[in-house]
Amino acid sequence: MPRERYRDRDENLYATVDAYHLVENLEQCLQCGKCAGICPVANLSPSYNPRQIISDVLSGSTSRWLKSEEIWRCFWCAGCYTLCPVDIHFPLLMMQLRYLAVASLHGLKYIAPFKRFALRAREDGLTFAPGSAKGRERIMGIRGGIGLTPWPEVSEKAREEYRALFDMTGSTEYLDRIREEEDQPLELTYLEGRITGA
Amino acid sequence: MPRQRVVNPEEKFPTVPGTVFLFRSCTGSLEYPGTENAVKETLASLGIHALMDPDQTCCSGYLLTCSAHKPEVSLAITARNLSLVEKKDLDTYTFCNGCYGYLSELSHIMMHNPAYLQMANDLIARWGYRYEGKTRIYHVQEMWYRLRETIGQKVVRPLAGLKVGVHYGCHYLAKQYGILDDGGYPTFHEEIVEILGGTPVFYKERQLCCGYSVGRGFTHREETVQPHLFKKLTSARDAGVELITTVCPGCNVALDREQPNLGKRFGTVFKIPVIDLSQLIALAMGMPLQKLGFEANTIPLTGVLKKLGL
Repeated sequence: MPRERYRDRDENLYATVDAYHLVENLEQCLQCGKCAGICPVANLSPSYNPRQIISDVLSGSTSRWLKSEEIWRCFWCAGCYTLCPVDIHFPLLMMQLRYLAVASLHGLKYIAPFKRFALRAREDGLTFAPGSAKGRERIMGIRGGIGLTPWPEVSEKAREEYRALFDMTGSTEYLDRIREEEDQPLELTYLEGRITGA
Repeated sequence: MPRQRVVNPEEKFPTVPGTVFLFRSCTGSLEYPGTENAVKETLASLGIHALMDPDQTCCSGYLLTCSAHKPEVSLAITARNLSLVEKKDLDTYTFCNGCYGYLSELSHIMMHNPAYLQMANDLIARWGYRYEGKTRIYHVQEMWYRLRETIGQKVVRPLAGLKVGVHYGCHYLAKQYGILDDGGYPTFHEEIVEILGGTPVFYKERQLCCGYSVGRGFTHREETVQPHLFKKLTSARDAGVELITTVCPGCNVALDREQPNLGKRFGTVFKIPVIDLSQLIALAMGMPLQKLGFEANTIPLTGVLKKLGL
C-alpha cells in the first residue's frame, strides 16, 4: 500500500482548513516530529501522529484524516505547541479539522456529548451544571454547607445575553444540526507502514 | 530545585492589588466548591478583596476546544465577560487553567485580528458593552507565588513533611509566553509546597496531562484516557505521593473521580486524594476544615488529615 496518496490533492486545503486564520505559520513546519514525541495520545495510540497530519494538510490530502478515528483522540493538551520550535498552534488546527469532519458527518458520535453540554450551558450560563434535580441538590448541599450561596450566582441578565449570543452567532443552529444518527463510520486510517497484528 | 523563574514575579506584579476580579470557574464552583471558597478566603487573608460578578458567564472556551462551538460565539462571550471587568477597571484573576488559557488565547486572537474584535464588539454593543483589551489575565497561582513569603509567615498548620505531588495542568504551561516558569520544567508549585512545610515529590509523570483536558473522559475513555491516567497515577503512587494538588478543577475531576474506575479496570487500588493548591494553602493557613469542601472529593482526605493531626 503506498504511504502517500496524492490522488485527492487539493491545492487550497490548508486555506480551507484554517478558515479562521488561527494557524498562519503551518508552512514553517520543520517536520521534526517533536509534537509526536511529546504527544500523550501518540504514546498510547501510535497511529495518531500530529506531524503526519500537518504533512497531509500541507500536501493537500484529505483522504486519511477526514474520516479517521485518530483526529478525535487528541486531548487538546497542547504539549505539541509547548514544544514546537516554530510555535505552530496544532490544537487550533485540530479544532478546525474537526469542523470539516463534522460538516461531512464524521465524528458526530464524539461531538454529540458536547452538543448536549453546550445546549444545557446555553440555559445555565455555566458549563457542566448537572441536569438532574439530585445532582443539583448535591452541589447546593456542599456549597451551602461551606458558606457559599447554594447555587453559583449567575444573573438572569447574564443567562439571557449568553443565550442571545449563542443564537446570534449561529451557534445554536450549528449545534441543532448535529444529529448523532447521521454519523458516518470512522476508521483508523493512519496505520499504513505499521505492524499491527504481530 | 531551580529557584530562578522565567518571569520574575516581582516584575510581573510590582504591586499587590487591593481588589481583583475573580473569574468564576464552572467546574471549580460546581464540582469542587471548596476551591472557590479557598481562593476567596486565601485572597482575603492576604489583604486582597475578590470581586465576583453575577453578570459573568462561563468562559465558553472549553466547548470551543471540543469543536462544539465555532469561534464567533466564544469570542463574543469572552469580549462580553472581559468588558465587565474593564468597566470596573480591574485585572482578571482565574482559578481554572481552562478559564486562564481560553480567556488569554481568545483575547490574544481579538487583539491581533481587528475584524474579530469588531465582530465581537458589534454583537455586545446592544447591551452597552465594549471590550478594549485593557484587563490583564492572571491565574491566582501566580499571586500565591508572588506572595509566597507572606503565605509562609501565615502558616499555622505546617504540612509535617506530607509528600505532595503537584500537577500543573497543560493549559497554564502551554501558554508559553508570560507564564512564571519554564513550561518544560516548572518547579514553582514545589517551592510553595516546601514553604507550607510539605515535601514535594518529583514523580516521573508529574507533567503528564490529566487526560480530560478536552472532554476525553466522555469519549475514548477505554482506548486512551484510562491507560493514560493509570500511567500517571502509578508513577505518583510508586514515588510515594500522599496528596496530589492541581490548579485546574478540570484536572481535579480527572485525577480524583477516575481513580475508582481505574481500580476496577486494572485491579490496582489508588487512594491518592486530589485537591486544589489553593485548598492546600488555605488548609496550612488555618482555614476551618468545614469551609474547604473536601466532602466533594471522591477519594477522601482522611489519611492526609490524620497525618496533620486534624
